Amino acid sequence: MNTSHTAPHIVKAFSEELEQLTADVAAMGGLAESMVSDALQAASSRDGDLADEVRLRDAQVDQMQRDIEKKIIRLLALRQPIAQDLRVCIAALKIVSDLERVGDLAKSIARRVHTLNASDPTALNGAVERMGRVVQSHLHQVLDAYATGEASRAVAVWERDDDVDEHYNALFRDLVTAMREDGSMIEPGAHLLFIAKNLERIGDHATNVAEVVHYLVTGQELTADRPRGPRPETS
Amino acid sequence: MLREGMTEDRNTPAKRMTGDRPRRRDIALTASIGVVVMLVLAVAGELSGGAFLGGAAAFIALAFVYYLTALTTAEPNPRPLAVNAPRDLEAEASVTMLERLPIPVLLIGAGGRIERANPAARTFLGLGTERGLLSTVLRQPRVLEAVSAALRGDRGATVEYSTLAPLESHVRAYVEPIRLSAPGPMPFRAMLVLADDTNSKRAERMRADFLANASHELRTPLASLAGFIETLSGPARDDEEARDRFLEIMTVQTERMRRLINDLLSLSRVEMNEHMPPTGSVDLDNLTADVSEALAPVAASRNISVEIDEAGTEGGAQVRGDRDQLYEVIENLVQNAIKYSPDGSQVKVSVRYGISRDAAEHLGARIDPDSGRLTLTAPALDPEAKFGVVRVQDQGGGIERRYLPRLAERFFRVDGQKSGPTSGTGLGLAIVKHIVNRHRGGFTVESAPGTGSVFTVFFPVAAAMKTLETPELRDQSDSVAQ
Repeated sequence: MNTSHTAPHIVKAFSEELEQLTADVAAMGGLAESMVSDALQAASSRDGDLADEVRLRDAQVDQMQRDIEKKIIRLLALRQPIAQDLRVCIAALKIVSDLERVGDLAKSIARRVHTLNASDPTALNGAVERMGRVVQSHLHQVLDAYATGEASRAVAVWERDDDVDEHYNALFRDLVTAMREDGSMIEPGAHLLFIAKNLERIGDHATNVAEVVHYLVTGQELTADRPRGPRPETS
Repeated sequence: MLREGMTEDRNTPAKRMTGDRPRRRDIALTASIGVVVMLVLAVAGELSGGAFLGGAAAFIALAFVYYLTALTTAEPNPRPLAVNAPRDLEAEASVTMLERLPIPVLLIGAGGRIERANPAARTFLGLGTERGLLSTVLRQPRVLEAVSAALRGDRGATVEYSTLAPLESHVRAYVEPIRLSAPGPMPFRAMLVLADDTNSKRAERMRADFLANASHELRTPLASLAGFIETLSGPARDDEEARDRFLEIMTVQTERMRRLINDLLSLSRVEMNEHMPPTGSVDLDNLTADVSEALAPVAASRNISVEIDEAGTEGGAQVRGDRDQLYEVIENLVQNAIKYSPDGSQVKVSVRYGISRDAAEHLGARIDPDSGRLTLTAPALDPEAKFGVVRVQDQGGGIERRYLPRLAERFFRVDGQKSGPTSGTGLGLAIVKHIVNRHRGGFTVESAPGTGSVFTVFFPVAAAMKTLETPELRDQSDSVAQ
């Protein structure tokens, strides 16, 4: 976190605690990110062991969330931060809950790998992979923005969430068509659909984090309406 | 009293050379002299006035010595330096070696704080000069675990990690604990060495992909060739009319195979280098003019006009790039536009320069209120970056929204263009995407069925010389890593 623009605290330990807090949140983000990418990797390479490993890692994310939340509560109680420092604490609190959800969603993707492995690979696996890549890139960039304190980069990710929607929409139609044409596609198709939905939600959490980063750096809410892609459920 | 102090002072340099610490001793000595004087005066019975005098004198001496020692320590002392010179040279050499090493090396201290990072590491991780915490710049959980284990003094470890987006990279991290003789409760530091494996990993996968793709795509034309050869050498041996027809089909099929192989080779070549940004610079204006000139006969044969609009590029439009590859990109896009346009229509090519990524992605108004828009590939977000843009618009049939995400997939062809003599290899846009990726540029599509399609590519402008240093460094580290 770029705290160089704010004056250092009289109590040096406080500065260090805040910096450590940001680093912890970033580390948790890294863990959530690795869960998403490993879950997708497991799905595309049909690697059941990797999927199991991802499922186990979810407990670690939960533990990290609890630890960080405890730290934040301690900081709030002992230091009574104001202004920028308070925003650092609140932002961390919000981001860890988003990251915890990302971890859950990644776990849910990993859980479907075994069932997917039971059926033949379909041509649509590639489409899911591609969508996964877009979502991963968003998550990665938004966490980068958090670590470096660049609000503009976070906003840029926030504005591009409609890309994810566009991918999801295309995938949804393709899957529905494939399932209608071929009954044997229904089972793997349903799982792919859930994976795509989970990815879309991870993308949403990434935009939530982007909003928090914007608030953290500027102190203002992102009020403009986020551009939204088409929703297949409603059309 | 003062005299005593001064002789003490004269002794201090000698003491420093023998390695004693002058300050505390001198002060103690002076103070004890003061005490002795007071004692003598007390024994003589002149306690009240004498004690005051003696005490005062002792304090004056004390203050004086303080002052003098402060002076001498401030003075540069040449002797110790001369004694340590060989060791200093050695240390300097090691530091310089570390600084010049093209492999990222970091020293991590207690609490995961980066204590030292060589320039290669700073470039690799995008570090500033501040001594931040490792987990803010390198979020890989396995690396962080290995580092904290090393800080506890556990055995070192080698960890591999990869990121797939926004840019693919595979890195091997060596973590090794270092025990320093520094005092304190935390004697351990962790050395972190990063080796970029992206190229070798990529080459490995590319080989497998290439074989799979090539064999899969070549099987169809090969099977049909084999069938015709069998027929020609058997039942149709003496049928002149059939022979001519078959030979014609065979020519088309071999031509298709040739194109396929060319495209596959070109694709794998581009993919191989995707990791290394280009260093040259290309004028988009000239390039576009060259492409449209080369394609003019094709366009003219179908009565299609190619119109070039170069507003705002009077000062030239130099972008960072490899000319041959950028030529291929624009040729591919314009060729596609001509191919999918109805006879007698118009293809519009616009060149813009020095605009931001947002403007590049959404250049011009929507061609249709319901058009689908998608970014097929895009550079890492940087609000400061400026781009040169080429936008190719046709009046063809357009592409259905649901196909847009698959456009740059290799061998993907929209339904209905899978056969026929002009059918593409399905690799053109994949090649475009990979070249654009290599140039750290962007590639977007907008399309509406019935109205037409717009393909936009943009590349970073060639202004900043600073960015040229980075690829060199990366290249070196690549070759060393291999």
